Amino acid sequence: MQRLSKLGAAVSLAVTLAGVLAAALAWRYGETILSFAVTSATPDPQDGRVTGDIYINGYFGLSYPLPKGFAEGLAGPDPSHSGYYVLANIVSHAEGGGTILVAAQDTFFDEAHRDLAKAASETRDTMAQIDGMSIDREPTEITIGRPAAARPAWRIDFNGVGLYRAMIITEMRCHLVSITLTVPDSQARDTLASSLDQLSLAAGPDPPVCIRDYATGDQLIRKVAPTDMAPSPVPIPARIIIGSDGAVRHVHVIRATEGQRKAIDQALRQWTFKPHTINGRAVEVETGLALRSGGKFTSTN
Amino acid sequence: MAKRTFAYACSLASLTAILVASVALPSLAPAQVRGPTDPGVRGGAAGAGDPITGLTPEEGAFFNAAKVVFGETEVVADGLGPRFNLDSCGGCHIQPKLGGTSPALNPQVAVAKRDKNTVPSFITADGPVREARFVRNPDGSPDGGVHALFVITGRADAGGCNIQQPNFAAAVANNNVVFRIPTPTFGLGLVEATTDAALRASLAANSQQKRLLGISGRFNTNGNDGTITRFGWKAQNKSLLIFSGEAYNVEMGVTNELFPQERDETAGCQLNDLPESPTPVVQNDELAAISPAAGFQADAVLFAAFMRLLAPPTPAGATPAVAAAAAPTSTQVASASSVLPAAGGTTSTAATSTTSTTATVTRGGQVFANIGCSACHTRSLTSGRSSTAALSNKTFQPFSDFAVHDMGDGLADGVSQGAAGGREFRTAPLWGVGQRIFFLHDGRTKDLGQAIAQHASRGSEANQVIQNFNALAGADKQALFNFLRSL
Repeated sequence: MQRLSKLGAAVSLAVTLAGVLAAALAWRYGETILSFAVTSATPDPQDGRVTGDIYINGYFGLSYPLPKGFAEGLAGPDPSHSGYYVLANIVSHAEGGGTILVAAQDTFFDEAHRDLAKAASETRDTMAQIDGMSIDREPTEITIGRPAAARPAWRIDFNGVGLYRAMIITEMRCHLVSITLTVPDSQARDTLASSLDQLSLAAGPDPPVCIRDYATGDQLIRKVAPTDMAPSPVPIPARIIIGSDGAVRHVHVIRATEGQRKAIDQALRQWTFKPHTINGRAVEVETGLALRSGGKFTSTN
Repeated sequence: MAKRTFAYACSLASLTAILVASVALPSLAPAQVRGPTDPGVRGGAAGAGDPITGLTPEEGAFFNAAKVVFGETEVVADGLGPRFNLDSCGGCHIQPKLGGTSPALNPQVAVAKRDKNTVPSFITADGPVREARFVRNPDGSPDGGVHALFVITGRADAGGCNIQQPNFAAAVANNNVVFRIPTPTFGLGLVEATTDAALRASLAANSQQKRLLGISGRFNTNGNDGTITRFGWKAQNKSLLIFSGEAYNVEMGVTNELFPQERDETAGCQLNDLPESPTPVVQNDELAAISPAAGFQADAVLFAAFMRLLAPPTPAGATPAVAAAAAPTSTQVASASSVLPAAGGTTSTAATSTTSTTATVTRGGQVFANIGCSACHTRSLTSGRSSTAALSNKTFQPFSDFAVHDMGDGLADGVSQGAAGGREFRTAPLWGVGQRIFFLHDGRTKDLGQAIAQHASRGSEANQVIQNFNALAGADKQALFNFLRSL
C-alpha cells in the first residue's frame, strides 16, 4: 500500500508537469486508474518522464514502477519522420545490470502497416538471421499490466554474445509500443520481465478513437493550407485530435523545424470535420496526416 | 591548366607510412595490461588505392590519367586561392594510399608555414587534416559554411592579393567553429551506382532490429530531383562529380564549371579568368599520352573518375581481385592476422599479441551484428546497372546504410545541410577502417574505443547500441576491435 501511495504521488506530479489539466488519480480494487481528458494541454507520446522511480507516460496512460536499482539513462533522439519514438531509456545503476528501452512506432506512419502479430513475427525473423543470435522464446501472446487493465501483448526472447534480451510489444492508440529488456543472463531477464507485472495502463475514460486516413476522407469539411512555411525535403508527419464537435482540439507535429511546426499547427487548427459517431454518440477521433512538399496534406503513407 | 606535380603526394605517402608506424605501435602495448584496446592502424600492405577489377583497357588508362591529376599540386596560376585549405586532393586523401583520408603527418602545417600563414590552434602536425566551419554568423544567424584556413597573400605567385585569414582564435574562443576531416573515397563508384530503391530497401530490411535499439534514420535528398544524396559527412552531395567540383572550389579555391564563382571576390585577388579549370578544347598532351579520352576532360571530371574507379578497400587477408565483394571470412583473416606487420614494414610483436586471430575476428563480426552496430553500419549493398561494367550489379560491403542518423549532442556540429540537421550525420562507411588513423567527423580521436564511446550522448540514436557494447565481456570488446581493424 505504501508503494501504491508513492505511485499516486508520482503520477500527480508528472501529470502536473506535463500540463495535463484533467488527470485524476483514483484507487479502485487496489489498482491504479488514470483518466485523461483531452484538453489544450494534451500530452504527446514523447512527454513521458521518470519521476521518482516511476516512468509515467500521460499520452499512453502508462505508469511503470522501475525495478530496484534502475534509473533514467541518456535521452533518445527526437521523434522521427516515420513516427518512431524512443520514449525512455532506463538503465541499471550497476555495471552490466541491464537496460530497458521503451519505444513506440506510430502505425499511421509505418509503411508496412504492421499489426502486433506481424511485428512480433518479423522481429523474430530479423533477429534469427543475425549470426550468433539464438531465439530463446518464439513469439508468444501474453498479457501485460495489472489485472484491471491488462492488455494483450507479444513477447520474444533471444540472446547473442552474452546479452539476453526480451521484447514485449503491445498496441496503444495506434502505436506499437515496445519494451526491450537487455541483461547479461537468462535468469536476470525473467526477473526483469516480471517487473512489467507492475505496469499500469489507463482504464478510465476511453482515449480518442484512432482512425487511419480520417483527415483525408469525406469527413473533412474545411481545409486550410499552411502559409509562410519553409519547404521540407521529406513529408512532415502530424497527428490531430478532433473533438466531438468536429473542431481540431489538438495538433501534434511529430517532426519539423519550429517554423514548420508553427505554420502547420496554425493551419490544422482551422480544419473542421463532421463529428464522428459511435452508436449515435459523437466521439473524439485521433488521426494522422503528412504534409508533403508543395504544402499538400495527404494520407499518412 | 593545373601543374602536374605528383612528387609531393608520393613523398607524403612515404612519410605517412613511417608515422603510421610510430602512431600505431605505442597504442598497442598497453593492451596487455589494460584489457580491451584498439590494436591500432593495421599494418602491412595498404588494402586500397588500386582500380577496381574488371575495367576495360580504356577505362584503366582513364583511371591512370585521372590519378595523376588527383595527386597534383596546384599553384595560383592553376586557380589556387585566394583562400584554401590545401593545394592538392592527394594531400588530404592519402591514408593509406592516394584516395584515402587524413595522413598521420598533417600537410596543412607545412603548407601554412611555406606560405607564411598562421597555423590555427586546431591544426597540429600530428593531428588530422581539417576544414573549419563556423556555426553562426556574427549576427547569430546560421552559417555552417567552410571558412578556408589559408590565404595566398604573400606568395610569390599571388600578385598584390592582400587578404587576411579568418580570426580562428576568436571563433575557437566563442565556441563557434567545428571541423571535418577528409572522407576516404575508395569504392565510391559502387556507392554512386547503387539505386535509391536498393538503399531504401536496405534501410527498411532491418527496421525491426532498429526499433529494438532506438534507431530510425532517414536519407538526405536532393532538393532538385528528390533523389538520395550520399556523399560527404552529412550525405549532402549527390554525385562524385558534384563532390569533386565543390571540393575543388571550397578546399583549394579553384573555380570550375560546377562552381564557377570565387568564394572571395576581393578585387586584388582575382588573378585568373573564370572558371579556372574549364573543359579543355585543346588536348592536354601529357594526359592524352596516358588516356586519349582524358586529354579533353576538366580536372573535376578526372577527380570524379579517379574516385569512381577506385576499388573498395581490401580487408585483411582478402584477395584484392575480389575486392568488390570482400569482407574478411574466418579463413581469409587467418592468413593475415597470424603475423600482422606494422605500418612501414616492421613486424610488430605487440600487434600479434593483441590483434586478430581467426576466432576473435569471427567473434568480433558476431558482436558487431549482435549488439546492433550493423543496424546502421549495414554490411552489404548491391549496385545497379552501370555504364561501367566493373561497377554494374556488384555486391559490395561498405558497412553503411548511407542514411543520416541523429548522433546526439556529443557529436553535434550545429550545421544543417539539406535534410541533415545539426546533430545528424551519415553512417560513416567502415570499409577500410582498419587502416584509418583518425575517427569521427572531426577527427577528434585516434582510438576506436573512444570513437565507439562518442556515439552515445543525449539524443543519440546509438545510445542503446553503446549500452550493449558497454555490457559486453572484455574479450568480446577486444574481438570487436579486432574485427574492425580487419576491415
